[in-house]
Amino acid sequence: MTLMRLKLWPRSLSGQMALLIALALFVAQVVNFALLLNERKRIRIEQATRPAVTRLVDAADGNSAEGPLFGRNGGIDLLPASPIRNDREHRADVEAALRDALADTGVKFGRIETEVRPIAANDPRMKRWRQRGLQRWLRATDEIVIAVQQPGRGWLVLRAPWRRGDLGFVWGLVAQTLILYGIILLPVLWIGRRLSRPLRDLAAAARDFTPGRHDAIEERGPQDVRDVIAAFNALRLRVTGMLDEKDRMLGAIGHDLRTPLAALRVRIESVEDDDDRARMADTIDEMNRTLDDILSLARVGKPSEPITDVDVAALVDAVVEDFRDLDQPVQFDEPVRLRMKLRPTLMRRAVRNLIENALKYGGAAEVRLREDERQVVIEVADRGPGIPADRLADVFDPFTRLEASRNKDTGGIGLGLALTRAITRDAGGEVVLASRPEGGLRATIVLPR
Amino acid sequence: MLQPEAMGDTPHLLLVDDERSIREPLAQYLTKQGFRVTQSGDAESARTRLAAYAIDLVILDIMMPGEDGLSLCRHIRETSETPVILLTARSEETDRIVGLEMGADDYVVKPFSPRELAARVKVILRRAAGGGMRQHAPDSGSFAFAGWVLKSGERALVDREGVSVPLSTGEYNLLHALVTRPRQVLTRDQLLDLTQGREAAAFDRAIDNQVSRLRKKIEGDPKNPELIKTVWGGGYTLAAEVTRL
Repeated sequence: MTLMRLKLWPRSLSGQMALLIALALFVAQVVNFALLLNERKRIRIEQATRPAVTRLVDAADGNSAEGPLFGRNGGIDLLPASPIRNDREHRADVEAALRDALADTGVKFGRIETEVRPIAANDPRMKRWRQRGLQRWLRATDEIVIAVQQPGRGWLVLRAPWRRGDLGFVWGLVAQTLILYGIILLPVLWIGRRLSRPLRDLAAAARDFTPGRHDAIEERGPQDVRDVIAAFNALRLRVTGMLDEKDRMLGAIGHDLRTPLAALRVRIESVEDDDDRARMADTIDEMNRTLDDILSLARVGKPSEPITDVDVAALVDAVVEDFRDLDQPVQFDEPVRLRMKLRPTLMRRAVRNLIENALKYGGAAEVRLREDERQVVIEVADRGPGIPADRLADVFDPFTRLEASRNKDTGGIGLGLALTRAITRDAGGEVVLASRPEGGLRATIVLPR
Repeated sequence: MLQPEAMGDTPHLLLVDDERSIREPLAQYLTKQGFRVTQSGDAESARTRLAAYAIDLVILDIMMPGEDGLSLCRHIRETSETPVILLTARSEETDRIVGLEMGADDYVVKPFSPRELAARVKVILRRAAGGGMRQHAPDSGSFAFAGWVLKSGERALVDREGVSVPLSTGEYNLLHALVTRPRQVLTRDQLLDLTQGREAAAFDRAIDNQVSRLRKKIEGDPKNPELIKTVWGGGYTLAAEVTRL
């Protein structure tokens, strides 16, 4: 039910406007229609009853069955019994109207019966009607037979043309409604589109917003929409300005921190003890890597690298190979070619971070690459201690490392996963961590194709 | 102009860096390594010293107040054949490529190991003294061969359809050595030598292994290689025309 409603309910602005107006129009038309129909019914009954009442009163006053009002000319017959059969269609509304009208005249009468009969096309009376030009009779498809009982006298019977249900009238109304719809809804749809097109453009621009591109959206549409677009353009400039500011700051930090690091790195070359020097060099390298990670993480939203057509299988393979060159135990079965559009250097880094983690905590990494029609999955698994289920989400936060693993040997400050996730999200994908049933952790990069 | 010095006992280096904290200990270290080092704190004084001495190699910091390293590098390239090694504070690929396009022979990213810098200085001086011909920096430019393009900045091969095939550091270094010396026979020792000194990775990896991995990537039939051919007596050669892009 809810689903149905959701489906029928248009989501666009112009659609909703049109639907609301159509509904309102429809309700108005139904009310209008009901009133009109009621009025027409009243007129119809009146048309049938008023002459009949006059004639009935005259006939009753005439007191004679042989008067000029009777028989062929007057159209009223005096019959001993009601010609009306109860199993035929009768009109209670006409009967009630007659009873009221006759009661007003003071004429005494008993039962009133009616019957609607179709007029056959070859009805013998046709000729007479035509001669006398009785349009009402000629147009009618039915006649209503009215029989009024006069106590002690018999039944006064008369006939009047009867117009059955207003089918033509209904069709007319339907046509009118449709024309109204045409006249009103088409402009509404047009205006709605005029309104919503700039809004849609705005939505698209907000979605595709990449800092650094300054092209403002054209302000068009009604004033309210123009205001929104102008506000968005201003917001865009502000965001771009802030991001530029951030980049400048990061560049300065990068430079200002690397310079003393570089000086330190040069100076330790004079340390005599080889072990000491090597350890110092390692520390400096680690600080530098952390600095690199911080700068990269801060820059992910604004990468300088273009998106290119890349063989992902070769990309993962190249990363794995770099680890193997350093004699690290990384298992990976070289898969077939797998084309994708992404930023290769960043994605290399994302995969490298996962493998680094697996090696750091699990001692070895098993890498797999899977694909189906919708996505490409890069999986890095280890047989390390894994992560407790309730902490799985935490490890993505920059500078978070699990207490258990916080020891001097493992190094790093926990930017790796945050960076991997930022890179993957930038590519439209997601990183998922899960404990393996056989122990260890499985990190997966899921990329949409 | 640099031959007598380079061939002589002490090659003369010009070290240009505005950071005294780096420049002075580095000069000290390089002197200990057997170089003659002249220091310079900005581009202006560097130009003066370039004119005053017969400099064999310039070590040049990119980020300097006033005239920056790139502009000085361009000036050196326009006026002489003196090799240049750039010191860069940023590791972004674009920066390296720009520097190398300016005509630098090599670059190191801060913080760098002075030993590695000294090793690279030696490699470049040996090259300059030996061949006389200036070598392009290993990371500049692209090379087209047999339908493939080897892109230096991205360390990737691009195939006919424009799909980029990333290479490991070892594979890249090896292919680069082959591509820059097409139709030359390179022995395993030569290849080891040529692929060393660039990155810490992949030094001791067997060349044969790298070759077979590369063949899988670029040969139509890796069992019957037509591009990277094995030469009788131990060596490899790239049997293709190479165009520098």
